[in-house]
Amino acid sequence: MNVYVCVKQVPDPNAPGKMDPATNRLVREGVELVMDPWDEYGVEAGLQLVEQHGGVLTVISMGPERAKEAMRKALAMGAERGVLVSDPALAGSDALATARALAEAIKRESPDIVICGTESSDGSTGLMPGMLAELLGWPQLTFAKKLAVGDGKATIHRQTEVGFQIVEAPLPVVVTVTGGINEPRYPSLKGIMTAKRKEIVELSVGALGLSADQVGAAGAKEQVLDLAKPEERQSGTIASDEGDGGVKIADFLQQRRFI
Amino acid sequence: MPGSEISREIYWNVTAFSVVLMYLLAGATIAVFTYGFYRRYRLWRLGKPANRLDHVMQRVAAFIAYGPGHGRTARDLYPGLMHLLIFSGFVTLFIGTLMIMVQADFDVQFLHGQFYLFYSLFLDVFGFLAIVGVLMALFQRYVVKPEYLYAMYYDGIVLGLLLANLVTGFGVEGLRMAATELRQGVAWAAWSPVGYVVAQPLVALDPGALQALHTGFWWLHLLLALAFIAYMPYSKMLHSFTSPLNTFLRSFEPKGQLSTPDLETAETFGAGRIRDFTWKDLFDGDACTECGRCTAVCPARSTGKLLDPKLIVLDLRNYITRHERGLLAGRDVAAGDPALPALVGEAIPEQMLWDCTTCRACMQACPVLIEHVPKIVNMRRYLVLEESRFPREVQGVFNNLENRFNPWQLPHQQRAAWAEGLDIPTMAETKGQVEYLLWVGCFGAFDDRNKRVTRALAKILKEAGVSFAILGSEEKCTGDPARRIGNEYLYQMLAQENVETLNGYGVRKIVTQCPHCFNTIRNEYPDFGGRYEVIHHTQLLAELIAQGRIKPTKPVDEHITFHDPCYLGRYNDEYDAPRYILKSIPGLRLSEMAASREKSFCCGAGGGRMFMEEKQGARVNQTRVGMAQATGADVIAAACPFCTVMLEDGITGKGLSEQMRLRDCVELLAESLGEAQAGGSGAG
Ligand code: SF4
Ligand code: SF4
Repeated sequence: MNVYVCVKQVPDPNAPGKMDPATNRLVREGVELVMDPWDEYGVEAGLQLVEQHGGVLTVISMGPERAKEAMRKALAMGAERGVLVSDPALAGSDALATARALAEAIKRESPDIVICGTESSDGSTGLMPGMLAELLGWPQLTFAKKLAVGDGKATIHRQTEVGFQIVEAPLPVVVTVTGGINEPRYPSLKGIMTAKRKEIVELSVGALGLSADQVGAAGAKEQVLDLAKPEERQSGTIASDEGDGGVKIADFLQQRRFI
Repeated sequence: MPGSEISREIYWNVTAFSVVLMYLLAGATIAVFTYGFYRRYRLWRLGKPANRLDHVMQRVAAFIAYGPGHGRTARDLYPGLMHLLIFSGFVTLFIGTLMIMVQADFDVQFLHGQFYLFYSLFLDVFGFLAIVGVLMALFQRYVVKPEYLYAMYYDGIVLGLLLANLVTGFGVEGLRMAATELRQGVAWAAWSPVGYVVAQPLVALDPGALQALHTGFWWLHLLLALAFIAYMPYSKMLHSFTSPLNTFLRSFEPKGQLSTPDLETAETFGAGRIRDFTWKDLFDGDACTECGRCTAVCPARSTGKLLDPKLIVLDLRNYITRHERGLLAGRDVAAGDPALPALVGEAIPEQMLWDCTTCRACMQACPVLIEHVPKIVNMRRYLVLEESRFPREVQGVFNNLENRFNPWQLPHQQRAAWAEGLDIPTMAETKGQVEYLLWVGCFGAFDDRNKRVTRALAKILKEAGVSFAILGSEEKCTGDPARRIGNEYLYQMLAQENVETLNGYGVRKIVTQCPHCFNTIRNEYPDFGGRYEVIHHTQLLAELIAQGRIKPTKPVDEHITFHDPCYLGRYNDEYDAPRYILKSIPGLRLSEMAASREKSFCCGAGGGRMFMEEKQGARVNQTRVGMAQATGADVIAAACPFCTVMLEDGITGKGLSEQMRLRDCVELLAESLGEAQAGGSGAG
């Protein structure tokens, strides 16, 4: 089975992010860059599929040359090879342009399944996987907190607000996974050492048969108009126990349809 | 000749044939003995090289002090005395027997006259004391039965053989004396007091019976002695040779320094198979006397965890014994050989390895200088680097250390936030033109409780006019927790980056707030080209007090007890500086815990345990707080941020928040300097 996992290099989500007032976008220079922690769940899900069914796990990414550092993390975890779409023309790409570039790269391979995180921790649009599925003409399964593949189809437990739905789709398919799906492994030193020697194929926009105006800032349809601080998170409810603590908790859960 | 000169007839009642047979048997015994030794030697050689033959003179000194000198063995009264009695008894008897051999069979006459009298007195007295020693050992193992000294079947065999040897020896002597010296009424018979007493009831027997009995006992004694010698290399009596040798082979590296493998060229990481250990690690197993002193002092063990340091050593030994043939044939666990069970995981349960706080109490207690901690960390390295198996909660710590250079998810850009408003220069600002670099450490920089200590320390240093600066956000975790959890790769990355920064500023003197940073920079950074004069803040403060540059004058009316941090005390031999500070504070009353100084009991945080869950048994930190409470003190004085967090938590956990408090030495000093307000409750 050929499994592809999309990963992204992002500024460390735990560092205080800085916004560029000119572009209204996140500053990506001079900050600590890491593989998006959300992508670790995708890589782990992919590794588990390959371990169960055999096959090859490929990580795929779009970004400048330095994005390879983030891909090495996935390779150290156990992915076999990498594909990086990298081109100066890609700078400023929005979700659609990214999906277009990745879709073209994926079409050149023969995947059975493409796994993405639900959203990136920097842009957080959550748009790219859906667009990718559309461009590939494949079904998509989203918010998977459990994933199984067999008999030519993928079945997931789809996380919802109150529980989960069981959804399936024929392969090939795009799946987005949530943070609850697994516990990503920590790369062994053997993994880290061999990752240094693993192959990362680089593809330019031209090699994908795309023109420069379809991608990058030129092809972007999204614009960031304004920035605002998020609303302060509301403090939780404090219920004091006057002998009726249990009832209060049960009421609280019931109101939110947990029980 | 008999009777005219003081002496005794050697081989009385022993035929020439018996003597010949005796030598033949002795020859066979030596062959069995040598073969036993050779088999162990073959196994030791499976290990990797390690140089333990440098510093020869110091090695000889160690050998004398810890071997015959009983340097550490005698530290505990009962077992020390017991061992000394058996040891000296057998050495004396062995030498005595050799003397007889020399006289009788090489015809060198010297056992006569006054010398003979003292000779026989000596042998009798020491033989008797050895019996006392063996009885003490039996009593300890089968009557007292302390938890750390579970008797194994071979303990019975060994002690039984020892006792039988001694008893039959005196039997032979008594029978001979009854038949000869007592009958002849020689005056010097009482110079063999034990034989003399044994002989008294036997004199009544008729000479024929005495002779027959003597022959029987003589043979029995001989066979028992030879059996014992032959059995030595196959039993724990091997330690008679390996233990003293082990003190000769001791390490001369700093105590706080773990080995630094070259990860680029290594084929395997850490120790997961026998051949990953050094030969010295394997030798350690054979040097273990199974006394259990390491187990008795282990904080993990004594709070009911799975870990037992003695078992780590013995499991290793038993593994090479049990799988001798497979191992010698070059078979390998890593290749999934079913005949060889996994060393780490099966023979030694993983949980045992994770229980260790690397407190070094075991190594400090071991009378024969066995090195437990390096083995434990080496097996952790194997688990982390090769197998990626470790307690789940540690993964986040690794990720944080890698990306944020502290164990938490805190942005490293805020590492100097604690210093706000204190006007402390950074190295970048001063271009390194200061006397000291103040190394703050992750806890001192990020942990709210410990930030108060850092602020207090910085203020005192400023007031005393010490010239110092900090690295600010250029400082990264020293890597101590990563290294001791077994993530050597991560540690080496951090160490390299820190050394680069430090050398870039030409730093020469470092004062650290944390004993873990202190130990790592001082003892482990030299491996990365980082050579500095490193001191702990208590050492600098003690010096400032001694020089009169700070004067604690305001009385602090508290009853305190001081908790020695493992990485300051046992690892770096600093017990006095913190006490000097405390004693210079007027009004403080200091009570020591029984487990203090070298015997200090870990707070539970070392070796990365700080970041692991404690699921089994009693809590180490609460156990320690209990010891502090027993002194009647109201305040535990600490000198380590890890201890501060653990013990404060332990006070709360035991529900003692009303009665007890924890304060760092610096905080107490600050109060006495009249800076209580400013230092004690800064904007943490
Ligand atoms: S270092 Fe401390 S915790 Fe670890 S085995 Fe030795 S005594 Fe026990
Ligand atoms: S390792 Fe040392 S202290 Fe522990 S049982 Fe063996 S000899 Fe005794």
